[in-house]
Amino acid sequence: MNFLIFLEKIGEMFISFLTAIGKLSIFLVKVLRFGTTPPYYWRQIAGHAIQIGYFSLPVVGMTAIFTGMALTLQCSSGFSNFTAESAIPAVVMLAMTRELGPVLAALMVAGRLGASMAAEIGTMRVTEQIDALTTLSVNSYRYLVFPRILTGVVLMPFLVFIDDAIGILGGYIVGVYYLGYNSANYIHNTFVTMTAWDVISGLIKGSVFGFMICLMGCYHGYNSEGGAEGVGRSTTNSVVAASILILIFDCILTFVLF
Amino acid sequence: MSFVIEVKDLKKSFGSFKVLDGVSLSISPGESYVVIGGSGTGKSVLVKCILGLLDYDGGSIKIDGKEVNKIPAKEMAQTLLKCGVLYQGGALFDSLNVIDNVSFGLVYGYGVPIKEAYKTAIEKLYAVNLDERIIKAYPAELSGGMKKRVALARAIATNPDIIFFDEPTTGLDPITSGTINELIVKCTKEMGISALSITHDINSLKHISDRVGLLHKGKIIWEGENSELTSTDDPFVRQFITGSPVGPFTTEGL
Repeated sequence: MNFLIFLEKIGEMFISFLTAIGKLSIFLVKVLRFGTTPPYYWRQIAGHAIQIGYFSLPVVGMTAIFTGMALTLQCSSGFSNFTAESAIPAVVMLAMTRELGPVLAALMVAGRLGASMAAEIGTMRVTEQIDALTTLSVNSYRYLVFPRILTGVVLMPFLVFIDDAIGILGGYIVGVYYLGYNSANYIHNTFVTMTAWDVISGLIKGSVFGFMICLMGCYHGYNSEGGAEGVGRSTTNSVVAASILILIFDCILTFVLF
Repeated sequence: MSFVIEVKDLKKSFGSFKVLDGVSLSISPGESYVVIGGSGTGKSVLVKCILGLLDYDGGSIKIDGKEVNKIPAKEMAQTLLKCGVLYQGGALFDSLNVIDNVSFGLVYGYGVPIKEAYKTAIEKLYAVNLDERIIKAYPAELSGGMKKRVALARAIATNPDIIFFDEPTTGLDPITSGTINELIVKCTKEMGISALSITHDINSLKHISDRVGLLHKGKIIWEGENSELTSTDDPFVRQFITGSPVGPFTTEGL
């Protein structure tokens, strides 16, 4: 009997999971179907581009510089045991461009923008603003969702690139001004091993993460129900879902890209 | 006779809960029809079904003779352009100021150039007793009555053939409610627009309705002219109009 109840619970969870995947897929198909056909809302796209690309810079930059600094310090204490200090600049560069840059930038953007997207669209849902859009003959997928996802996909690589650069700069500051490495050697060792693919792979990750963040923010916001509490729940769910997806896809993309 | 809106035997359930269980009503051109009923009886659901915002389970809804759930998406957008909606909370777009809210349907729905749309929007703001001084204000900076008037200006900005009013005077003081009622009558009578309103407000009901339907347990259980409201012997209507705690609503539950 207990085993049957256990099986029933597993079945329910599996069906819920498939239902969620189905709903998300339908949502995405609608976004792509309506978003890729005219009219295009350029003003909306520009507004979100500024939100993602410009207003996220401070938080992403702060995260990157301190991560680069801490990483250099950690490497220094570890690598000195093997007299491998000369590898520190290359390790910091690789870690930032391939892994930490895209993942940290994405997690920060998920916390900042994913949450705000879910809250904004969720509030619009529960206050009937999305219904108002529809009755004013404006497709809400085209007007609200697609511009956000598009700007996320296009501008996250830009943020990741800035994040990489600032992270490497943070490493340089600690390496040269605190640990006393030679500036020219540090710069040389940073770039001598760098390949274009190190940077590009990070930018690809950034683009995928941007898509995940905006999709989760919009999807959870769009399906909000139950007033302020529902909006709060959607906001939390969007950040949690985006963060988990970022980490899962980071692993998958690392397998695929390297 | 042709109707602007014709609803026949409309059914809508949420899970096992039947909200609408065979609602029928029709609205003639230029007529103001008001649906009354207790909270949670499905008045807003009825309007959302008519506007195509909710799918319905059975029955038929026709706007201008076209079955709502058979109208293709593009054509539905055109049909909705003929409809203005005043939502309960106004549903003004928080991120847009007053002028952008009022001109929204013209700019994004009709593709009217922005300057021309602004000009029309200001005319409509004057029509609802507002003026240019508030055009740069955001919804959060407006009072409840002002929000309703701005929302009304937005609803009439596209010169619709039909307007839907979802509890237009809820949460407003009697004077502002009176102003809104006057504006609704002005819009429907002077502009010849058909209207479907839902309300709890008896003053509003008496003021704005030509015909009234009482929605109870998923059905329109009474329908009559405005003048019949006070003369009818129907116990449901009498209790609703008088607001008496004793009567069939109390016995049966809302």
